[in-house]
Amino acid sequence: MGAALLEEFGRGDARAREESWRYSKMALRALAQQEFVAADANAELPETLRTQFDWPATRRRRVVVVNGAVSERYSDLADVGAMVTVGETGGTYAVRIDGKIDEPMQIVYVSIPSAQPSRWQTNTSMVIVNGFVTLIEQHVSLDGAGVLGASRRRIDIGEGARLDLVSLCDLPESMSLYRLLDVHLAAKATLHATHVLLGGRMQRLDMQVELAGEQARLESRGVFALRGRAHADTQLDVRHVARDTTCDILWRGVADQRARGIFHGAITVAEGADGSDAKLSNKNLLLSALAEIDTQPVLEIYADEVKAAHGATVGQIDERALFYLRSRGIPLADARRMMVTAFCREVLDGITDVDLRNRLAGLLVPHVDGASA
Amino acid sequence: MLKIENLHVRVAGKEILKGLSLEVKAGQVHAIMGPNGAGKSTLGNVLAGREGYEVTQGSVVYAGKNLLELEPEERAAAGVFLAFQYPVEIPGVNNTYFLRTALNAQRKHRGEAELDSMQFLKRVREKLAVLHLKDELLHRAVNEGFSGGEKKRNEIFQMALLEPRLAILDETDSGLDIDALKMVADGVNAMRSPDRAFLVVTHYQRLLDYIVPDVVHVLADGRIVETGDASLAPKLEEHGYAWVAERKLAGAA
Ligand SMILES: Nc1ncnc2c1ncn2[C@@H]1O[C@H](COP(=O)(O)OP(=O)(O)O)[C@@H](O)[C@H]1O
Ligand SMILES: [Mg+2]
Repeated sequence: MGAALLEEFGRGDARAREESWRYSKMALRALAQQEFVAADANAELPETLRTQFDWPATRRRRVVVVNGAVSERYSDLADVGAMVTVGETGGTYAVRIDGKIDEPMQIVYVSIPSAQPSRWQTNTSMVIVNGFVTLIEQHVSLDGAGVLGASRRRIDIGEGARLDLVSLCDLPESMSLYRLLDVHLAAKATLHATHVLLGGRMQRLDMQVELAGEQARLESRGVFALRGRAHADTQLDVRHVARDTTCDILWRGVADQRARGIFHGAITVAEGADGSDAKLSNKNLLLSALAEIDTQPVLEIYADEVKAAHGATVGQIDERALFYLRSRGIPLADARRMMVTAFCREVLDGITDVDLRNRLAGLLVPHVDGASA
Repeated sequence: MLKIENLHVRVAGKEILKGLSLEVKAGQVHAIMGPNGAGKSTLGNVLAGREGYEVTQGSVVYAGKNLLELEPEERAAAGVFLAFQYPVEIPGVNNTYFLRTALNAQRKHRGEAELDSMQFLKRVREKLAVLHLKDELLHRAVNEGFSGGEKKRNEIFQMALLEPRLAILDETDSGLDIDALKMVADGVNAMRSPDRAFLVVTHYQRLLDYIVPDVVHVLADGRIVETGDASLAPKLEEHGYAWVAERKLAGAA
């Protein structure tokens, strides 16, 4: 069964799978020990979950996916009906966005546990023909018998179009989630993605971005903040295929208690993608001796006149700064929380919507509790 | 207010303070002078409660309490303030937020009402003016991108805002030009009062022209080797620290 899950979530040949799941194999194996029933797509949405995503601002621009299936009942696209169409072919949802949408849209994945461990999966293909759209994506769930979700999404961003994706995944400790995000950008297309990964028994994000057209641009921001026994594994695979393409990757990671975080950031500048610019920075904080973070930046360049910079660190909280704060009267736990929150917040700076930014920052706080050492 | 007796402190396995005794009364300004490496910063750090400083002998009593038993934040709430020789940059932590959190944490600890943002900002404006600090520094991260002089003035600004009872200034004068030095001195002099004491650590006599101390100590090799009034400082400047060491030897012989 462990092999079967690896088969299901792994990509490429056997060696590539082994390699890319190196740090999460045990977590996958543990999941494989369990029997899962199919999650109920018609499950009632508990009020406690609804309050987690029911922002009035996005109420009429919202798609709600319950246990993997788009819910007619809870979704509402009244404000954007002319520009957004949602269809289904062969088990894959097809979303087409054509035109500039001024206010953010929201897509919510709700995982509702059953009496026994359950699992769902969903496939989406999204095309952004032109214009500009902000998409707030959220995964919410409740603690319970355990859910294993799998979401695979392909996004095509057309020439000159722009997608701002804010993805928030705040999981209870019984939930596991595999996500594949496969993005193709045409000429002058832009993706600005911000990922926040909090909690979860095992969460894995595979983000593959192909800068296929000239001057296509990726800005990837992300942070994981983990405590307890949370396990998060992020794998970025960015490919510069066309000339003058840009990627700018800034990720942060924090692990406390016995949590485990993995960041793998690979950038390939293919032959012919001359004049490309690739930047990757990944900084991590370990807050406990039992926590672990593994980071691996990989840069492969086969083109000419390429600008590239990358750096990755795993460190501890700056004791001098901590003492400075305490010497001014700030209690230890608060001082730690201030420093860790500041460390994580840097990735949110690019979000222009102040309300949204503050909301995300607020969600980080319980995950960077300063109490433990 | 502060009584240090026979203090011995080890840092990284090496004895740095070797039997230091000192008594500071409320209302007084004591200057501590001494050569590099004498243990001046060690003294400041021990008083503020920094980790890694092992007290092997002696005692420190502050306002009737055993200071060494308190956590750094408890010392701050009890009125101890250290102006750092090297203020620390804290990326991402907004200066205003930091100051307000610090002030309110101290007030809360003392059972006083916390200040709302209007009351807080009013206080901030008053104190900024004294030190000629730009408003703009408040919007930055703590000490981040501050010039050397701005960092030092920022320490004194924090002192003015937090209104401690015992302020320890660790070489706040070093690296300051004469104008900045005067601002720092003005900041300190404005705060001198019968219920507040200062321990001014300096390497040079220059600062003491503007902050006239009640008592001057010479700290060398982990001990106070000479104590006098304000006139001791210019003598030191003239003769150098070697002079003290020689006098000490002569006295012992
Ligand atoms: N963290 C430390 N680890 C090792 N040695 C230290 C440390 N801090 C201070 N020292 C040593 O202690 C001595 C006194 O240092 P310090 O108190 O900074 O002197 P001062 O401030 O008078 O110049 C010096 O010899 C210095 O090298
Ligand atoms: Mg010093």
